[in-house]
Amino acid sequence: MKKVLFAALCLVYLELSMRVVSAPICSYGQAGCHVPSLADLFERVIQQSSRMHSVSSDLHSEFEQYFFPSKNIMGKRKCHTYDILTPQDKENAQRLGREQLTEVIVTLLRAWGEPLSELHQSMSQDQHQDFNIYSSNKALEISDIVHELKDGVKIITDKMRLMGVLSNTVGYNSPESLVPSSAFYTQGDLDSMDHHDLLYCFRRDSNKVKNYLRVLKCTTLPELGC
Amino acid sequence: MSAPGKPVLLGCRSPEKETFTCWWEPGSDGGLPTTHHLYYERERLEGTYECPDYLSAGRNSCFFNKNHTSIWVNYYLTVMASNALGNATSDPFKVDVMEIVKPDSPRNVTLRVEERKDSPCLHVRWRPPSNTDTKSGWVTIKYELRVKKDNSNNWEEYMSGTQTHFSLYSVSPGVVYTVQVRCTLDHSSWSEWSNTTYVKISNYLQNERPFLMLISILSVILFITAGFVLIMKRKSVKHWVVPPVPGPKIRGINSQFLKVAGSEDVSNALIFNQSFPPIHFVWEDQMEEYLNVTENEDWLSFNSQKRKKSLIPACFHFDSEIHCKESTCNQNEWEKDEEISKVDNNNKPFTNTGYVDFQRHVENVQGANVKHVDYSRIKEVKGNNVLILETENIQISNIPEDYHRVKEMEGDHLVVLQKQNAADINYTDCALHKPRKPHVCTESSNSGYVDTIPAPPLM
Repeated sequence: MKKVLFAALCLVYLELSMRVVSAPICSYGQAGCHVPSLADLFERVIQQSSRMHSVSSDLHSEFEQYFFPSKNIMGKRKCHTYDILTPQDKENAQRLGREQLTEVIVTLLRAWGEPLSELHQSMSQDQHQDFNIYSSNKALEISDIVHELKDGVKIITDKMRLMGVLSNTVGYNSPESLVPSSAFYTQGDLDSMDHHDLLYCFRRDSNKVKNYLRVLKCTTLPELGC
Repeated sequence: MSAPGKPVLLGCRSPEKETFTCWWEPGSDGGLPTTHHLYYERERLEGTYECPDYLSAGRNSCFFNKNHTSIWVNYYLTVMASNALGNATSDPFKVDVMEIVKPDSPRNVTLRVEERKDSPCLHVRWRPPSNTDTKSGWVTIKYELRVKKDNSNNWEEYMSGTQTHFSLYSVSPGVVYTVQVRCTLDHSSWSEWSNTTYVKISNYLQNERPFLMLISILSVILFITAGFVLIMKRKSVKHWVVPPVPGPKIRGINSQFLKVAGSEDVSNALIFNQSFPPIHFVWEDQMEEYLNVTENEDWLSFNSQKRKKSLIPACFHFDSEIHCKESTCNQNEWEKDEEISKVDNNNKPFTNTGYVDFQRHVENVQGANVKHVDYSRIKEVKGNNVLILETENIQISNIPEDYHRVKEMEGDHLVVLQKQNAADINYTDCALHKPRKPHVCTESSNSGYVDTIPAPPLM
């Protein structure tokens, strides 16, 4: 009986003394925080953007395969992010500078938040059973990634501002061009054409985001060996 | 002769996401010289433009350089074939550079075999295609390689990520390995496989193993041979390891002979093979039993007398090892009753003779000059070992001059002779030769008996 009591006391003591606590990741350098480096942040963000692009590509190709076998058909519908000015080639992207490039990235990501969630909702509620469950999950996934990516890029810009790498300059896009994304969509159901167009547009924009993030990383941290 | 057929746009390709090329297939030319023109429109760009470069990429192609290339925008291309009789326009072809990226193959694929202790390994190295710009981060190249053994058709594929090297550890010697590498820019199409590179992994490592095996087999054979030899010679091995306890053995007696011979022969053998006691060095410290050579009728009964240190027989001894062979023993006869004739010449050098002087402790000493000693004059010697002595005790009062009485023996080699007038003691030193031969004492004193006649070897 005494032994049992002793063992119980030992266990209680161990339980109280050894507690596993996860170290919080915080970007503001609070005490007791593990602060990730800029390189780590970039690495994470690039991974996410790569994932975002590949999922969107898969989704788009599935859609095309399923609904539009002929590849070249596409209505000349403009993407809702058409008015967001983005560099179209390498030289322009490099000439843009870090601040403006960052701003472009953020703008793009912000523009896609709502449409993607709408897309997911629409796909999961599809009456015609057009999409299998996996496509719907993919839409949800990219919606989440875009959300996370937005936060991640914001953290990076804050950190770069802290490090003095980033300065406050005039934005690349004039404020007028930043049209709220929801204006492009009716609040009603999106049909398949809408889905297809959305996916097409998003595939392109996710590729842009991925590319811009890589250029940003290599110009900001060239020593990492791009 | 007709208007040209409709050309068909085959496709476009961008090797590095900075330029691109498009190709078309011309239709029939209608029998007339036909020219082709490519026109394009572009998203976010007003107007229709013609191909900037028809030549760089070869026939029926259009090359768009960096200045004319924009990513993430749609190009709408058409090709028009025209001859003297008319035109023909292809269907529009939409292209976004983002979608047509396909890099060139990696360059300079090199294979290096590293010979390691247990197993070799194969290091593959390559260079990225020359036109890709990874430094600015515009493109990220990922590689993939595939390996094939000898002539099989099964390729093993490995992802290499962004590394330009790869190591294969499970390689077998003596096998030809074929390696190819390809790459992709982000998630673009894969490039073509690079040129095949071959390497044959040398066999020398394999040779080491048979060498070791050979050594082990040889050592096993040696062990087995040694075992056989041991078994064959087990008796001698047993003798060597566990030496037998020596049984009693009479020196000079051939035990085999004893088994075979009759009693007479046995006796002969026993007698003839006895050597006189060794007179030299060792006896000084020992009480030894000697054969007392007396009169011939008694000579069969050997009286052994304990001799003390001071008794010194003549300075010779018979050969210690006398092997009496059967033939010789038969020759030796003895006669029990034999008249002893006086020996005439004392100085006569007897073969196998000599004086044996025993000095006894005599109670009644008659005088200083004359010692009452027992002398036995040897009458004759029979055979090798038998001395036949005279019966009478001879009192020698007058000791001839050339005889010396040995007084005592000192040490191993020293014979002390007694002077006749007891005034002059000389020492003689017996040079000791080989113990087997009777040694000679050269005397230089004038008192005491020393037989100077060297006894020849008895056999």
